[in-house]
Amino acid sequence: MAGGGGGLEVPERQRRGKQHSKRKKKKRLGFRIDMTPMVDIVFLLLTFFMYTTTMVTPQVMEISVPKEVEENVEVNQANLFTLYVRGDGKLFFSMGTDEPQPIAFGQLRAKVVELNLLRKNKLITAFKPSPDAPYGAIVQVLDILNQAEAEIIRQLQAEGIKRERKFAFVKISPEEVEKLKGL
Amino acid sequence: MPKIKKKRLGFVIDMTPMVDVTFLLLTFFMFTAKFKTEAEAEQKFVIKRPYASADTSKLPDKDIAIIKVGIDTLTGDTSYYYTIVNELQRRQVYENLNFTTEQRKPQVKVGLDLLDQLIMQTRITGPRTRFAIDGDRRIRYKWIEDAIDVLRKNNATAFNFVTEKRQ
Repeated sequence: MAGGGGGLEVPERQRRGKQHSKRKKKKRLGFRIDMTPMVDIVFLLLTFFMYTTTMVTPQVMEISVPKEVEENVEVNQANLFTLYVRGDGKLFFSMGTDEPQPIAFGQLRAKVVELNLLRKNKLITAFKPSPDAPYGAIVQVLDILNQAEAEIIRQLQAEGIKRERKFAFVKISPEEVEKLKGL
Repeated sequence: MPKIKKKRLGFVIDMTPMVDVTFLLLTFFMFTAKFKTEAEAEQKFVIKRPYASADTSKLPDKDIAIIKVGIDTLTGDTSYYYTIVNELQRRQVYENLNFTTEQRKPQVKVGLDLLDQLIMQTRITGPRTRFAIDGDRRIRYKWIEDAIDVLRKNNATAFNFVTEKRQ
């Protein structure tokens, strides 16, 4: 680097002048630009964009509900697996017409996989969240069910069975809400 | 021989590599930057989305209508907000519903009746418009249930829940 120690202020300019006529004109090989202001601006912009960008883009969970038709589908009660979410976010399940039993969020996935593998495609999952339950808990349950679904598909595929998912949102009745409160 | 030490006044650093990297980062962030939409800029609530595990499907940014259920940061009231992303479609829907100039905002605060009308008009003006429910994870499920019922009533049986990836 030519002119080291000379500071940043316009190097090698003063040499012009008197010596100019005597000396052979020096061939210039390069020139330097003071990049400081540019770097200032670039850093400013960089920090601005870094702070304003949000890396997390919202993702979506696909939901489908049956059409609004008043028809009662006959369901074999024995194959009905019902999941409840109580007002305080606690999770309950029941098989067929059994009494609802509490289950932890952490155990749900294993339970769902186990039951589905036992009854293959016959199991019908009904999801009955109570109106007071926090929305976050409902999405959490749906997420666990989706994860379990991937596992079930893989396991059934190994047995050569095509998976047909039977899942529905079902409205909870006021009696059931009351019943859950007592548990 | 003792030399007189030259007093150093300054030094020069070759900034070229640094500038290279900085520009690279700058262009990266400039291209990836996504700015707030008009609707988001004026909303008075922040939605704390429910967590879900990683999903490959992202929220589409066109042909979509979003039903937001947000908690107002000032008053703490929960309410529905409706926004149609496509501006042309939005104008058409507002026109069909005879909205006043004041009501013609990118995002409208709605009750269930108006939500019903808006969804119906959205379906008419753009049959391929998809719906998404963007709810706060702290709200009661009742809000979501009612919104789903309105969607079902308008034959929109496939829709999306907006979630956030669990870190």
